Amino acid sequence: MVHETLPVMGTEWFRPFTEQSIALLNEEGEWIGDFPLDLEEALLRQLYRDMLAVRLMDERFTVLLRTGKISFTAPIAGHEAAQVGVAHALRRGHDWLFPYYRDYGLALALGVPPVEIFGQMLATKADLAKGRQMPCHPNSRVLNIFAAASTVASHIPPATGAALSMKLRRTGQVAVCTFGDGATSEGDWYAAINFAAVQQVPAVFVCENNHYAISVPLSCQTATRTIAEKAHAFAIPGYHVDGMDVLATLYVVREAIERARAGHGPSLVELVVYRYGPHSSADDDTRYRPREEVELWRRRDPLARYQRFLARRGLWSEEWEQQLRDEIAQELAQAIEAAEHAGEVPAEWMFDDVYAEPLWHLERQRALLRAELQ
Amino acid sequence: MATLTMVQAIARTLAEEMERDERVVVLGEDVGRRGGVFLATEGLLDRFGPERVIDTPLSEAAIIGAAVGMAAHGLRPVAEIQFADYIFPGFDQLATQAAKLRYRSGGQFTAPMVVRMPSGGGVRGGHHHSQSPEAHFAHTAGLKVVVVSTPYDAKGLLKAAIRDDDPVLFLEPKRLYRATREEVPDDDYLVPIGKAAVRRQGTDLTLIGYGTSMPEVLKAGDELAKAGVSAEILDLRSLVPWDIEAVTRSVAKTGRVVLVADAPRLSSVLGEIAATIAEELFDQMLAPPVRVAGFDTPYPYAQDKLYLPTVTRILNAAKHVLEY
Repeated sequence: MVHETLPVMGTEWFRPFTEQSIALLNEEGEWIGDFPLDLEEALLRQLYRDMLAVRLMDERFTVLLRTGKISFTAPIAGHEAAQVGVAHALRRGHDWLFPYYRDYGLALALGVPPVEIFGQMLATKADLAKGRQMPCHPNSRVLNIFAAASTVASHIPPATGAALSMKLRRTGQVAVCTFGDGATSEGDWYAAINFAAVQQVPAVFVCENNHYAISVPLSCQTATRTIAEKAHAFAIPGYHVDGMDVLATLYVVREAIERARAGHGPSLVELVVYRYGPHSSADDDTRYRPREEVELWRRRDPLARYQRFLARRGLWSEEWEQQLRDEIAQELAQAIEAAEHAGEVPAEWMFDDVYAEPLWHLERQRALLRAELQ
Repeated sequence: MATLTMVQAIARTLAEEMERDERVVVLGEDVGRRGGVFLATEGLLDRFGPERVIDTPLSEAAIIGAAVGMAAHGLRPVAEIQFADYIFPGFDQLATQAAKLRYRSGGQFTAPMVVRMPSGGGVRGGHHHSQSPEAHFAHTAGLKVVVVSTPYDAKGLLKAAIRDDDPVLFLEPKRLYRATREEVPDDDYLVPIGKAAVRRQGTDLTLIGYGTSMPEVLKAGDELAKAGVSAEILDLRSLVPWDIEAVTRSVAKTGRVVLVADAPRLSSVLGEIAATIAEELFDQMLAPPVRVAGFDTPYPYAQDKLYLPTVTRILNAAKHVLEY
């Protein structure tokens, strides 16, 4: 999903630690920012296309699950604006992303080819990571997307380290690290952000706060009112943002990234979202969430709100919507077919990439398996 | 050629590697102004500055985790964990991130980094300053594990570890930091990871050891020689990978083996090596392999010297296999 690099803003517009979450669109899709919207129409439309692509891709994941082709999925719906906004805020292929397991929308919007995504979901040879992980683990060296790990918050200290390297080597890059609200309770989260703040590294820590860590609500996760205010503990700015507003996400995260790039240190950005589905395909969210609550949030749908915004500006029509849906559906279908066609990962790949060079004990085990399979 | 203690050799080697390769950076608690609590990083801050010699917050997870990110981004970090006993808050970063990054990314991302740590007992440190946690690392695929016992090896193996493309756990027996001095060449030599050293040639039995226990193993060899027994002594030096060729060559020759290390016996690296010897050389053995390991207690304070494999314990085991 191609997009243009945005110009760097000269001033800081957003205040940290606001009571209300920062929003630039109201529910009716009206611009409520106190500064002029300065994004090109092509980009405004691209944001919608990307969000729609994420939603349709997420739906394909569920279909693949129900048809038994994949073993697992972590539903994205509700996070589209947050993920697409972040993707457009960083410099693609230059900045680094340290994602977590719900971030395939972010990966798609950053330009990971859908065939690689479905290859990873299906664990076929189309997966650059060679079928090593369960579904929903983005990775791309080419696009500087650090291979996601399942263990919550474990990728945050490495993000700080990469940012430290960027600072030392003066590469002009920024490390953007995303995680859910549950991650903020892990020691690694504090350790990593604290170190990043001490060293004033170019990093932005982005929380996709969807209010639940599987079933545990935010009120059992933290006694603070927001995630953003935890930034006080590190003496860095914390932004409380409506993550179902793609423009608010894009503007705030972009400002945090460019602030970091300019040498002013890290920030914490909390994107308030809501996941419509269960935590994962192995979860049953009816055990812990009232349906009315889900419906309430669905009525704040990020795509619907942004569609109203575009329609007000004459940038959306039913024909365009249909055209987009057809195009994306075709892209996804082709990607799935290509990913399946790539073929199964050979058994012996299990032994590769444990070390740079094969060690003797692993080569013995490889030979053992080979003999068994013959 | 200088005559150096092990800790001096380590400090010099770090300086040499930082001089050779600007990607090499050192990070850890007290590694800067203090020069490390054991002085293994002495002089580095003045010479290379705070960007490459980083005093970190007191967080092993931050140290090891940041090293992973630095390595993935192109640096060659050398992290110091102040005592091996403090590794556990950073163990998740080792097991989840460092060990598996190459594998889980299909080789797209790697973590070429070294985690140095003083290990082992014999310094009256109690159970939180005396442990030898190498079995935890050896059980985690993706990590290499090295345990040095001489100043010469400390230099050659540390250089090899820093230049290795995988994460290397580099254990430095703190009891041996200043126990001996030896001549350490000034030149840029490497001791390859995965190769054991033959410390003494012999024919009657093989003593296999590493790290903290090597002085006792060597003394036991001397005692056996006085009694007319020819012991061959191997210092493993690397535990992952361990040198199966050197081990099987020696044990095939002697038919008897005693394995010695201070780490707890249960699920130890010695157990793995003993099992492999039994599997490979069963029909050539004159006695079963016998282990002399640390006891399966937390490391005690008052019985500090008794916990470590003593020369007596090693000689008793040798007697057992010789008379079997």
